[in-house]
Amino acid sequence: MSQPFRLSVPDADLDLLHKKLDLTRFPDELDGAGWDYGVPLADVKRLVAHWKHGFDWRKSEAEINKLDMYTTDIQVDGFDKLNIHYVHQKSEVPNAIPLLFVHGWPGHFLEVRKLLPYLTSSSPDHPSFHVVAPSLPGFGFSEAPHKPGFAGYQYAEVVHKLMLSLGYNEYVYQGGDFGHTIGVFVVNKYGNTHVKAWHSNLPVYRIPTFFSNPLLFLELLTMPFNKYIRDKVQTSLRIRKKEFGYFMVQSTKPQTIGYSFADSPVGLLAWIYEKLVAASDNYPWTDDEVLEWISIYWHARAGPAASARIYYELTRGNEASDMFEGTSWTSVPLGVAHFPGERISLPKSWAHMLGKVVQESFHEKGGHFAAFEAPEALAGDLRKMFGKGGPAYGVVSGKDGY
Amino acid sequence: MASSDERPYSISIPDSELDFLKKKLELTRFPDELEGAAWNYGAPLSDIKRLVGHWQDGYDWRKSEAALNTLPMFTRDIEVEGFGTLNIHYVHQKSDVAGAIPLLFAHGWPGSFLEVRKLLPLLSAGGPDHPSFHVVAPSLPGFGFSEAPSKPGFKGPQYAEVLNKLMLALGYEEYVYQGGDWGYALGKYVVTNYGHRHVKAWHTNMPLPGAPSLFKNPLLYLGMFFLSYDETSMKRLANMKRHRTKGTGYFNEQATKPQTIGYSLADSPVGLLSWIYEKLVSWTDEYPWTDDEVIEWISVYWLSRAGPAASTRIYHELTGGMTHDTDQGTVWTSVPLGVSYFPKEIFQLPKSWSHTLGNLVFESDHDKGGHFAAFEQPEAIAGDLRKMFGKGGPAHGVVPGKGGY
Repeated sequence: MSQPFRLSVPDADLDLLHKKLDLTRFPDELDGAGWDYGVPLADVKRLVAHWKHGFDWRKSEAEINKLDMYTTDIQVDGFDKLNIHYVHQKSEVPNAIPLLFVHGWPGHFLEVRKLLPYLTSSSPDHPSFHVVAPSLPGFGFSEAPHKPGFAGYQYAEVVHKLMLSLGYNEYVYQGGDFGHTIGVFVVNKYGNTHVKAWHSNLPVYRIPTFFSNPLLFLELLTMPFNKYIRDKVQTSLRIRKKEFGYFMVQSTKPQTIGYSFADSPVGLLAWIYEKLVAASDNYPWTDDEVLEWISIYWHARAGPAASARIYYELTRGNEASDMFEGTSWTSVPLGVAHFPGERISLPKSWAHMLGKVVQESFHEKGGHFAAFEAPEALAGDLRKMFGKGGPAYGVVSGKDGY
Repeated sequence: MASSDERPYSISIPDSELDFLKKKLELTRFPDELEGAAWNYGAPLSDIKRLVGHWQDGYDWRKSEAALNTLPMFTRDIEVEGFGTLNIHYVHQKSDVAGAIPLLFAHGWPGSFLEVRKLLPLLSAGGPDHPSFHVVAPSLPGFGFSEAPSKPGFKGPQYAEVLNKLMLALGYEEYVYQGGDWGYALGKYVVTNYGHRHVKAWHTNMPLPGAPSLFKNPLLYLGMFFLSYDETSMKRLANMKRHRTKGTGYFNEQATKPQTIGYSLADSPVGLLSWIYEKLVSWTDEYPWTDDEVIEWISVYWLSRAGPAASTRIYHELTGGMTHDTDQGTVWTSVPLGVSYFPKEIFQLPKSWSHTLGNLVFESDHDKGGHFAAFEQPEAIAGDLRKMFGKGGPAHGVVPGKGGY
């Protein structure tokens, strides 16, 4: 049974945070380090000072509470029921298309905020959506699983059952980062029957093999001779090496780094801020934006350490060859968006390994956190895909968005 | 040479530092843990809670400090080309035996000069049956009570320069070298740059050879294809694979973003504790760590002169930010090399590959011990060094006039 949710971090939690901030011990930094060794000291000192004296959490909280938020219990096979927090913003248009928006790491439910006005507004010129944006289990204000093994199909089950609980038997899906990965599991299990189409702003999948995708595999073989593809893949590999320390730590030892996340505001701040800057497309982060973002992790219901476990579970502790084990290509219509700031950029043809690509868009601006950085562009893609004349118009019976 | 006079050194952490630590420990916020997680997800919560509790209520830093201060410790300035002077802390234990062999002991991460402690009585003891050593064990720059470099680019040759200059400053023109972990990697630079002239032989408990190449090691290279590896070598390679898959997150992070993880290590006692403790347990061979031993070990990082973040930078500097191997620029030399194999060492390559590291004159196998061999199995290491350098040993008399007797 769903209950309205009002965010209210206890005073005691804020007191503890401030006591800790007051006792922050900073490291030094190598001369001229810039960003070469990680997050620069000047940035971190400035942000900590702002967290102490400038950032007003209660103000953020009040703004967040203007969203239509709820919690409900969802039972996942083999696990205890989890109390799931979500935003549910209905459109005025009764036949708006139900859309499930799923965040990733280090993202959270608030990434949907700037999209809401675009997606829920009504107009004869574009479709409208009812938007559901949960906090994934272990993130934001949802409970976290208590046992090992909560992996791709479990996350998929939670978000799918959430939609069913809201009366949305048929719906569409949008995600990036783990929102994309979980999307693959969602469409594999509930595609066509329930999920009528999906959209991703990080369309990655496993490397083609001869048996899974012979044409793409042959393309991979021609790589030495195809400079465009070679450059893209090499750049991705280089970035992977330089930017994937966090991935290696979280996919093998999430508990170990979890002690730092839970105990050290500056430690958590630096770890996440590094990615907010590296993965976005020169987004002009304000200190308030950064601290609000970090605060969702610091004040998370299950604590910040729980959020790292998704890396472990979806890679089986880094023993899986990829995060998509147990999934395959589906015929569910797929829209993909390529944003230039995205760290990983694979040949665009590889998106076809994921599903039936019916729309592909290339943007000039925006990065990993597309919904936050370029909400108009992302909303535009969804309107085009689902609007009249679009490749996924009317996929949800009786709910064409007008 | 450009190094100033030696000063005796006593560790004396200000009360204010200890008070500050106490305040932070009191505010520790713990995460939860998955049911039945044990060690699968990292250091277990019950271990960490118990250790934090001990750090708060049971552990006595002043007692550790007093005991450490009975070691013969000193500091001196060492000038490094392009980096100015660094004030280097070291243990210098002389033997009563005048002709003792000068030995430089280099630690790694998350090690420290503490690792030499159990070796000192064994190595410096005199006797007709075994050689004796004068032991020099520094805190590497950025570790323990040595200063850290303040600018980028302090790489293998720079660390080697510090180590060599330290020995020369102590009057040891010719010496031998022992190290594991970074002590091994730096050993390759020390031997490449100062081998024969100053370093007469070296020993490691963590050999890390690359695969043989056709041009450098044709027989070993061909052996990879035509000879199937024996069961031991196959098991060693399987252990390596497991380490690579499950145990190298810290390496990746420290080699690419040492500053980022540095904020946690500097600010969070429990964060630092768990980051290091995880390795103290997983890299040792069921060593029966006492809580005091663990907290003392962590304290050397928490209370270090340059702060705990500085110690991670060696990973970035020596790999070029994960763009090259840790031994780039080093070469095979004919300087006599001894290797000891311990079963729980994290890097386990086929033993035949050790020949690619240098002029292998001594090999020794043990059935107990792990990565921190000098700490876990001091008698084994000391025994190996005595055998290698003693009368009848393959490196006996390498240092002219200092045969160890």
